[in-house]
Amino acid sequence: MPSITSDTDASELAILRHGERIAAALPRRSHAPKAIVERRVMGAMMDDEELRAAVFRFVDVRPACRTRADLADHLAELLDAAQGSRLAGLGAGLAGRSPTRTATAAVAAAGVRQMAHRFIIGADATAALPGIGALWDGGASATVDLLGETTVTEAEAESYARRCESTLRALDGAARSWPARPRLEHDAGGAIPRVNLSVKVSALTPAIRAHAPHRGVRGAEERLRRLLRVARDVGAHVHVDMESLDTRESITDLLLALLSEDEFADGPSAGIVLQAYLTESPAHLDRLLDWVGRVPRTVPFTVRLVKGAYWDHEVIQATQHGWPVPVFQDRRACDRNFETLTRRLVDASTSGRVRAAIASHNLRSIAHAVSYAERRSADIELQVLRGLGDDTMRALVRTGHRVRCYCPVGDLVAGMAYLVRRLLENTSNDSFLGAQAKGADTHTLLETP
Amino acid sequence: MTFINEPALEFRRPEVRARVVAALAELDARLPLLVRSAVAGEGPGGDTTASVDPGRPDRVVAEVQEATVHQAAVAVAEAGRAYAGWSARSGQERGVLLQRAAAILRERRLEAAAVALRECGKPWQEADGDVCEAIDFLEYYALGAAALDDGRPLTQMPGERNTLRYVGRGVAAVIAPWNFPLAIAAGMASAALAAGNTVILKPAEQAPACARLLVDALHGAGVPRDVVQFLPGGDAIGKALVAHPGVHTIAFTGSCAAGLQILEQAARVGPDQTHIKKVVAEMGGKNCIIVDSDADLDDVVPGVLKSAFAFAGQKCSAASRVLVHEAVADDLIERLVGALGTLQVGPAEDFGTDVPPVIDLESQSRIRRYIELGGTPAATVDVPGDGYYAAPTLFVDLPGDSPVVTDEIFGPVLSVERVPSVHAACDVVDASRFALTGGIYSRSPRTIAAVIRRTPVGNLYVNRDITGAMVGRQPFGGGRMSGTGPKAGGPDYLLQFVEARTVTENTVRHGLVV
Repeated sequence: MPSITSDTDASELAILRHGERIAAALPRRSHAPKAIVERRVMGAMMDDEELRAAVFRFVDVRPACRTRADLADHLAELLDAAQGSRLAGLGAGLAGRSPTRTATAAVAAAGVRQMAHRFIIGADATAALPGIGALWDGGASATVDLLGETTVTEAEAESYARRCESTLRALDGAARSWPARPRLEHDAGGAIPRVNLSVKVSALTPAIRAHAPHRGVRGAEERLRRLLRVARDVGAHVHVDMESLDTRESITDLLLALLSEDEFADGPSAGIVLQAYLTESPAHLDRLLDWVGRVPRTVPFTVRLVKGAYWDHEVIQATQHGWPVPVFQDRRACDRNFETLTRRLVDASTSGRVRAAIASHNLRSIAHAVSYAERRSADIELQVLRGLGDDTMRALVRTGHRVRCYCPVGDLVAGMAYLVRRLLENTSNDSFLGAQAKGADTHTLLETP
Repeated sequence: MTFINEPALEFRRPEVRARVVAALAELDARLPLLVRSAVAGEGPGGDTTASVDPGRPDRVVAEVQEATVHQAAVAVAEAGRAYAGWSARSGQERGVLLQRAAAILRERRLEAAAVALRECGKPWQEADGDVCEAIDFLEYYALGAAALDDGRPLTQMPGERNTLRYVGRGVAAVIAPWNFPLAIAAGMASAALAAGNTVILKPAEQAPACARLLVDALHGAGVPRDVVQFLPGGDAIGKALVAHPGVHTIAFTGSCAAGLQILEQAARVGPDQTHIKKVVAEMGGKNCIIVDSDADLDDVVPGVLKSAFAFAGQKCSAASRVLVHEAVADDLIERLVGALGTLQVGPAEDFGTDVPPVIDLESQSRIRRYIELGGTPAATVDVPGDGYYAAPTLFVDLPGDSPVVTDEIFGPVLSVERVPSVHAACDVVDASRFALTGGIYSRSPRTIAAVIRRTPVGNLYVNRDITGAMVGRQPFGGGRMSGTGPKAGGPDYLLQFVEARTVTENTVRHGLVV
């Protein structure tokens, strides 16, 4: 059927066109010595499993080390453990020479701190405000994510909820003085709040139980309701993050139930996350869209489409229990699903009741979303992660797209789990950013999945 | 053929939860179940007793006609007669029957889990895990039985042929506990059967219906009725079996005191006895989790909670002591105290239940007594009024000679003690008379290696919870007063149930090798 072929050709051409335009707008690779070293380290980690493991373990334990000597011990042991790595022997060397080892450990610790700062925008809301303001000035909006320890007590849940509330108010206070940015403040769905907070339900309650989702719902209900009220009062957007599959039912049940309550019919703006790596994500989108169609809310519901950040966890958990693996194990199948879901979301957004936020660092996925939105005359938002997607963000701003940057806020201890997950993502051989960093050409990066 | 663990039910799926709820309703409609003994030579049964739902003791789960001491003697005689035929079959043939029994259990897995839930107060995930482990044991030992057929290779010389083969020991009395009413009964019974022994199973008084389900699966698979017999009843039956001169092997899992009694009794040789009895015993534990100063408390808190309070601490592998490095002790204690408050105590069938009732009134009283001995707890939780509930309780900084610290309580009671170093924690572990399971949370490879070298425990878990050993993955069992160390679900377990026979044949005739 020639007409379909030519249609496909036309849309592929449009994707290529957008992709090349965005690629051309990417900042040039920095030749600053620090950037070169970092690229080399990332490259080495991708090729050397044991080095990767040693680095992760060091990053992981870094906040728990109390003294320089303690730090040095851990570093030496971890390098020792990386037997087959190109760094083998360095650990043994370190173990002996005491002045060298503390100095090396200090450098490594500083390295971790510096890496953390790349991903984490500030230790708390106040410290983060200048960075978020600078993003706005530079033409991008932000969503703030408060990092924290795993919530295991009610007191910890309460403290997280209060931090969320005070962050909403602090951001609101600061955002009032930001200059007008029409591109970031309006779309086809209406006004877009300047303040945007991403919230983790698992931090709002210690009662999340995969086999008893009602406990998580009941546990987090009152705190999320309070947050939604604050957001409504200050006109902010609350975005509920998705986590591992174990928590999905609680998160979804809770958010949809709360937003269906009368008091939230006219606000706040709120949203949820759809993880394209889940093989059943299409059915999950059915559920979300069905709910949107039934609930009489006057503000659009944002769906952020992501690939998903718990791939290893899901595979390991399912394999250890003998369950079907819930995520795509083929990268291309996952990328194709991402595109299918993108199209469905863009289609849904034309009703004005759904906002599509496409979160990806994959140039192909971004170009596909942008070109499909153009074809449907739809208005979408693109999202990137601070630290990983900085270059992509700049290119998207330059090419006139609406971009939001996901900005974690928190101290080093709290940020470690986040940092390790991001590092894993960045140095996995399957990663788009990895391919990009290794210098794959634009055409290869834009291939149909 | 390689062994694969039976996949657990995926309870995070709503459709799976709906299926098990329906299975429980179906079971409830049939209660009480009627459980009788299964002895090859039938005679009059004994008293009628009952097993009840620990969460609602007025609900009778099974009406049981107990076996008599006379029936026990008849059963041993029948089992002795049946031994020749059963042991003459190849391990391969016996294995096929065990695999068939596993298949039957798999068919009935929801029903079996529902029975374990009702009879023992096991929450769904635990009950399902019990069924899966029972299936695993049947299949794992079936493979082991086939492997036994090969014997072991020996050194050969010209003119001589040496062979070693394994044969069953005779009649095995299996005395099973209630805490893994399907899995452990299935494990001990199927190992004995796989190795060529005939079996008399005496289930725990609290869990006869679970054990009967297992026996039905074995019979349904084609294991002859005189090869597996079933004698529900109390201590008298167990004692009669242990003392009987016709019993060759006693496989026991239960308390340390009962285990030691069995060992003593079994060592006494009766006048008509022509063999030495062997006891395979898995007894208690007083299991410690060591927490190093560099541990990730985000992992430690959930790991400790699960190890100490899942199934109300009624696992021999459960954690009852935390030995925490003083540098992080305050942090950990504060978080554990808070986390304990999030535990929901309730009936086993409620998916939201973290801590179910304990098995019976006697357990409940014993645990309460220990809690009183501990003084003021650092944290505790309210429990429902009806049912055999015991409050999850946390003690901190108790003196080292407190009974809470030294005795196996077998309930939801945890004590946290500060130590100056991991080395000191290892000394504490070393001073214990038990050596079953243990845990270490640390991010230092050297510390972990040192604990691995030093620990006396049979199962050490590094940076994870310390319960939930899987067949074929974590062979289970400990030394010291925790048992005779046979490692259930491991490659050497069947060897406890066999005798090895060596045959040496002269192959030289008239100076020629023929």
